Amino acid sequence: MSAQTAEDITQSAEHGLNSREKIITIAVAGNPNSGKSTLINALTGSRLHVGNWPGVTVEKKLAIFEYEGTKIRLVDLPGTYSLSPYTQEEIIAGDYLVHEKPDLVINVVDATNLERNLYLTVQLLELGIPVIVAMNIYDEALTRGYEINIKTMEELLGVRVIPTVATKKTGLDDLLKAITGAADSAFLHRPKRLNYGNDIETAASVVESHVRNSNPQLVENYPLRWLSFKLMEGDHHAMEGINLGDIPFVGEATKHLIKAHGEDIESIMADERYALAAGIAHEVLKKPEFRKMEVTEKIDRIVLNRFLGIPIFLAAMWLMFKLTFDFSAPFADWIDAMTTGPFKRWAEAFLGFFHAPAWTTSLVTDGIIAGVGFVIVFVPVIFAMMLFITFLEGSGYMARAAFVMDRAMHAIGLHGKSFIPMLLGFGCNVPAVYATRTLENPRDKALTVLLIPLMSCGARLPVYVVFIGAFFPSHAGTVLWSLYVMGIGLAIVMGLIFKRTLFKGESPMFIMELPPYRMPSFKSLMIHTWEKGKHFLIKAGTYILAVSILVWFLLNLPWGVEQRKDSYLGQMGQVIAPALEPLGFGTWEAAASLVSGLIAKEIVVGTMGEIYVQKADEADKKEIPTLKDDLKEIGTSFAAAAQHAAENVISTFGIASMSSEESVEETEARSSLRGVIKGQFTPLSAYVFITFVLLYMPCVVVAIAMRQEFGTWKWFGIAFGYQMALAWGVAFLIFQGGKLLGIGG
Amino acid sequence: MTLARLRPGENGRITKMGAIGPLKRRLMDMGVLIGERIKVEKIAPLGDPIEVTIKNYNLSLRKKEAEGIEVEVVK
Repeated sequence: MSAQTAEDITQSAEHGLNSREKIITIAVAGNPNSGKSTLINALTGSRLHVGNWPGVTVEKKLAIFEYEGTKIRLVDLPGTYSLSPYTQEEIIAGDYLVHEKPDLVINVVDATNLERNLYLTVQLLELGIPVIVAMNIYDEALTRGYEINIKTMEELLGVRVIPTVATKKTGLDDLLKAITGAADSAFLHRPKRLNYGNDIETAASVVESHVRNSNPQLVENYPLRWLSFKLMEGDHHAMEGINLGDIPFVGEATKHLIKAHGEDIESIMADERYALAAGIAHEVLKKPEFRKMEVTEKIDRIVLNRFLGIPIFLAAMWLMFKLTFDFSAPFADWIDAMTTGPFKRWAEAFLGFFHAPAWTTSLVTDGIIAGVGFVIVFVPVIFAMMLFITFLEGSGYMARAAFVMDRAMHAIGLHGKSFIPMLLGFGCNVPAVYATRTLENPRDKALTVLLIPLMSCGARLPVYVVFIGAFFPSHAGTVLWSLYVMGIGLAIVMGLIFKRTLFKGESPMFIMELPPYRMPSFKSLMIHTWEKGKHFLIKAGTYILAVSILVWFLLNLPWGVEQRKDSYLGQMGQVIAPALEPLGFGTWEAAASLVSGLIAKEIVVGTMGEIYVQKADEADKKEIPTLKDDLKEIGTSFAAAAQHAAENVISTFGIASMSSEESVEETEARSSLRGVIKGQFTPLSAYVFITFVLLYMPCVVVAIAMRQEFGTWKWFGIAFGYQMALAWGVAFLIFQGGKLLGIGG
Repeated sequence: MTLARLRPGENGRITKMGAIGPLKRRLMDMGVLIGERIKVEKIAPLGDPIEVTIKNYNLSLRKKEAEGIEVEVVK
């Protein structure tokens, strides 16, 4: 379970430390875009562990490190604007602060946007936990001509305020010194009790004394100020968290308050907190009279322009898509060639040396090594994609992309940010599923993930190519185009259906900050990319390996099976075939090929080759290369792959031309397969078959990615179910309709 | 007049928050409060959402969400 990862990490990390020594726990809180991530990366570096908060897909970052003899356990809270109980992030942050009671809170504040950031600070002070404010992005504030009086601010809040520039690692030492200093004398860092004005304070003191009398043990465990405010606000989430129902006297105490302000109590509190934030900002901040037009404004004039906005966005997306897949494809091919070539040969030689039985060799080479290779093949594309996504988010462009595309995506119940994952789906559905991390709302995320498999990924292309080559050589372009359009069209239809059924009710709001453009630090980019790639390798890798071994058994059991038809896979094909009869391809060969597509759609063509074409094994006997040859090949082919990747990237900008290189062998295999399937399918049933391949189910890697992102199989189950039904239904309609019209019979 | 009807470049002062529940609280958390000055910067190329400046930062919201915010035009 992904939910326990973070805890595991904590425990294992703590285990290594001397348990007699005290560890101080600090929670880092702050607004999104306040540079919190960068600050944490700068403080902790490679000691950072990334997991998930229990039960949700929000990232949890943890680090344990030592500074001048003090052991520090740092917990990164999700970026929030407030501690109200309305978003997943706010709930996680609030619950952690109240129930886990960290020793200290570091509040990262964006110095260029003081007032809105201080709104969260005000709420943090209500908790009574020692707070240190990291006044981040301080350099930019100075460049803008802001004067911030740190000393006054410290006096007003009653806590330390440390100017920092996370991207340049300025102020980090001061911050760490303040942290260790606070650990020794926590009582000096108790924040001030801010004055919320007569009306609120009167009501609060009534509530406080009632709570103190009626629930003394509650007061021991939770800060009284926080308790009374939450009771007044009627915060159900907080009340449930501390097992407290409605208390009758609260309504009595706040009655006067509500009457005097003519507003609901939540609004009155929010108003007052903002008034305090504005008051402090006004006291400590001096801004220049004249404001220059900022870079962000200049860029947005072009990027969000009425006419240029969409073309620029699409061009940026095209570039990202092309770079991601062009760059990663040669490396993926290289990894593929290595695992099917030298590594396989070495394993064979090694096992042969010990006279291992043939089935062991087959299990190791075709099951395990092929499975491992299969996992690693995805690594380049995931790394490349994560790099781009991190850059888009860190730079601030992601919010603009959502702004530009929201209207179109909202029409089918999606969020503006859904566009990028959907687009990536055309390359590979796996990174597309991971890219949905940028969607904060669980509903938006689930709906996007459900629709991604309808984007025809690159792995399905070889299947189309074989069939189109055999049946529609003169209309290849049109047929191929029709498949992609069908996928998009059905995504729109399914989006509308899901919006009205599974996700009925109010669609989530689109209240989103458009943060200033900022260059993400190289270190942050690397850390995020690496973490994601590692996550995939370890977590997804284990599952995928298990599945590929399972498939090996399906193909090779029962023991001593000679014909593919008699293997479990063949038998499954025979069982499933009748269900495919109304679609025009009710043969066990077709059914077994489709079953093999379970592991990955690119395997469909390979399986078909194995099943349909009698293997001419004798012709395969080539000279076995020596170890030296192999090593040389690994090196030179990697160099070739790197060169190829570089060429692809350059060719994107139209400087060099791309060399097409499909190996002769492969073409030959395909052309013989083409000949055989010509006898097995009609043009109509061929088209229906590729339609089925387009729609029928996401591959197992997508399934695992979905499991990983949601922590449950639920969404994969729904995707699997609806796609099977959709594939069968659409295939049925096309085949039967086509037959009625007398096309291709 | 609602915020959704302000044209790009126009300024308004918020007079009433019609939104309720989580939407209202979210807007308030983002600094959209009664009495606050708000400026419509841009409308997205496809006509929705809109970009506004409030409390010295840029916020985007859908027109439907902006319809719940009453404003008076200020110069």
